[in-house]
Amino acid sequence: MNVPLLEMKGITKRFPGVLANDRVSFDLYAGEVHALVGENGAGKTTLMKILYGLYSPDSGEIFINGEGIHIKNPREAIHHGIGMVHQHFMLIPPFTVLENIIIGEESHRAGILKLDEPANKIREIMEDNNLIVELDARIENIPVGLQQRVEILKILYRGAEILVFDEPTAVLTPQEVHELFKTFREMKKRGKGIIFISHKLDEVLEIADRITVIRKGKIIRTLERKEATKPLIAELMVGKPVLLEVKKPEVKVGEVVLEVKDLRIKSPRGYDVVAGVDFNVRSGEVYGIAGVEGNGQSELVEAIAEDVPIKNGDIILMGKSIVRWDVRRRREAGISHIPEDRHRYGLLLPFSIAENLTLGMHYREPFVNRLQVMNRKAIRDFAKGVIEKFDIRTPSEMTPAHALSGGNQQKVIVARELSAEPKLLLASQPTRGVDIGATEFIHNQIMNAKGEGRAVLLVSADLDEIMSLSDRIGVIYKGRIIREFQRSETTKEEIGFYMMGEKEAEKEAGEGASGGGEERADKAADKGGSGDEA
Amino acid sequence: MGQSMFIFFLVKGLEISAPIAFAALGAVFSERSGVVNIALEGIMIVTSFTIVWASIALQSVWLGLFFAVIAGSFIALIHAVVTVTFKVDQIVSGVALNIFAFGLARFLSQKVFGQETQTPTNPYLFPQLLGVNSVAFWLIPIAILAWFVLYRTVFGLRLRTVGENPEAADTLGLNVYGLRYTGVIISGAMCGMSAATLFPSQWISGMTAGRGYIALAAMIFGRWDPIGAVLASLLFGYADTFRIMFETKIPIPSQFVQMFPYILAVVVLAGMVGKARAPAADGKPYIKGED
Repeated sequence: MNVPLLEMKGITKRFPGVLANDRVSFDLYAGEVHALVGENGAGKTTLMKILYGLYSPDSGEIFINGEGIHIKNPREAIHHGIGMVHQHFMLIPPFTVLENIIIGEESHRAGILKLDEPANKIREIMEDNNLIVELDARIENIPVGLQQRVEILKILYRGAEILVFDEPTAVLTPQEVHELFKTFREMKKRGKGIIFISHKLDEVLEIADRITVIRKGKIIRTLERKEATKPLIAELMVGKPVLLEVKKPEVKVGEVVLEVKDLRIKSPRGYDVVAGVDFNVRSGEVYGIAGVEGNGQSELVEAIAEDVPIKNGDIILMGKSIVRWDVRRRREAGISHIPEDRHRYGLLLPFSIAENLTLGMHYREPFVNRLQVMNRKAIRDFAKGVIEKFDIRTPSEMTPAHALSGGNQQKVIVARELSAEPKLLLASQPTRGVDIGATEFIHNQIMNAKGEGRAVLLVSADLDEIMSLSDRIGVIYKGRIIREFQRSETTKEEIGFYMMGEKEAEKEAGEGASGGGEERADKAADKGGSGDEA
Repeated sequence: MGQSMFIFFLVKGLEISAPIAFAALGAVFSERSGVVNIALEGIMIVTSFTIVWASIALQSVWLGLFFAVIAGSFIALIHAVVTVTFKVDQIVSGVALNIFAFGLARFLSQKVFGQETQTPTNPYLFPQLLGVNSVAFWLIPIAILAWFVLYRTVFGLRLRTVGENPEAADTLGLNVYGLRYTGVIISGAMCGMSAATLFPSQWISGMTAGRGYIALAAMIFGRWDPIGAVLASLLFGYADTFRIMFETKIPIPSQFVQMFPYILAVVVLAGMVGKARAPAADGKPYIKGED
């Protein structure tokens, strides 16, 4: 363990107006997991893109096994044994697993593909690393956890010794995370070095040997595992102490605000993407929908917020069916919506913060006069108040939305939706890609809304978020809510099992009595993984 | 219908389908690499002029074909430079090239032959087979070859990768721009084959009559697949053949009968909505290093 596998020294990278990496030094030894943690925009991704040859640094040096190298493009990075599992998978959905693994490193005779040789080589790698995937399956037909395995196989196939994982657990169920960490341990034993980028501190503490915290482009500190604690890392990341627990207000749950009855929605591809959903949300209550993404959550929320065609069922707000209402009527009746894709549906990026804050109310007085001419002063005054109240960090209310950080953009949306004083708040992935500070703020706002007696429907891929905010939790799988829990009566693991489907969860319950804890989780994840292929 | 008439209908249909099918096959390569090429029509105008011009000038239709392929590739190269390297909207570039090609062919015809709207007849023609242009029969082996190249070769796999996810291709070290150039140029070259089967005996302004667009429709109807594109082209081609052979025997005004293949194209495409899936990155310029 004397010569590091990888050493990056004094890396500096400047973008117009931002010093993304400021004399950053980072090293990695064979057989260790080194976590790199930091807020969004702290410079983690920039550093890794430099390592992978996607950016060239303004200054600084990179050594592999003590030898100085220059990496000009990904091909060279691959050549030097660097492999990256990107946050957004670099896979081709209509292609097979095998094709995805070999692209760029194909075996061929006179240009004609040979598939047997690579298939055999890949099978060996799969055996060695606990990474079994069906080679002939198409990526679009396999679950996310398996897709990630394909990404890992892709880089192992290319002979990577240094593996970079950019937020690999963001899209996984707890069981899949467990499987991934097993693979990490397997790879550690084989002398690989793993860089693990994450902001989920529990996971970092579980798997990392060392933890490096980066903030505003600078390395703040590298911690040994034994000296690291959750509050310490969070404080180093943010620069001030952070409250990690959300305070739930005491509030009486009141009458039913939203009721969804046997809702079915046909997808453009012909199957029922929402396949008979029943649930209700009461005032002063947060109803969380947990599930692996793509199980109908998006369509369900869309159907409540907008007048999309539904196949069957009813959506009732305060006793009235709203399925035939258009969006404006629904908003006026008290529905607010924090959409999952803030750039496409939440904001008009080139428009000012003030304009964005009044969207949806823009046609009402005082924002327009009787002739529907905009009253710019009223808009700006309103915006100033909201910016102050919701602590939106912006140079002015006339700054265009695209100039804000992700966290502040999200605050703009949350502020707008809550200032409409809704009866029902639909919050879809409210803190996705948002830094810890803004996440804390948004969570508190959602709790305030609950405290004021509003009903909240929360959809999130982040199970921790669901667990910490919800009063009741429905698990959605293949378009149905297969199980509903009181928050106080369930655990993250239990929800995780149901996220992989009813049958898997039942099987689990059956076996649970005999098997050991860890063993169980492994099996379940394997079954969950292969279940969808059949 | 007698037996000989039926065989004539079959081969005539093949001949009439061939220009559409060759262009559609080329378009599969362009679109699978991620570049929409609506300049097919314009490229076809240029290649069908070039084949006549070069055949007369060089006294060989084979040399004519060779230069038609070169000319088609060249116009396609312009499309590639503009859309791949300079990231201009692919539709805008395609429309511009169509207008440009229309004028270019007339200009050259005027310069070379002293007539703006048509050339003299070209006496150098391809051999006939079963009473039609024999080049039409090349369609079958070329379609199979195109399928093989797309699905069974390293080049084909990489081309399809670039059309689906250029960013992923880039991270795997593939040459995104090079592959897109190649795809677009293949589509231009195939328009040379279209010219060889369209009407190599004379060029007349307007003779392509929208076949480039029909080819594009056939490619979409064929689900971006070489065999599918050819089958769709045959559908349109045989519909047209049927019209030509029976126009005078049907008591419907000929203008309506002439619309038939185009109406078929519209109906067929309307029926495809939501079913066919284009390559994920089709039509989108790729800018390196952006998130």
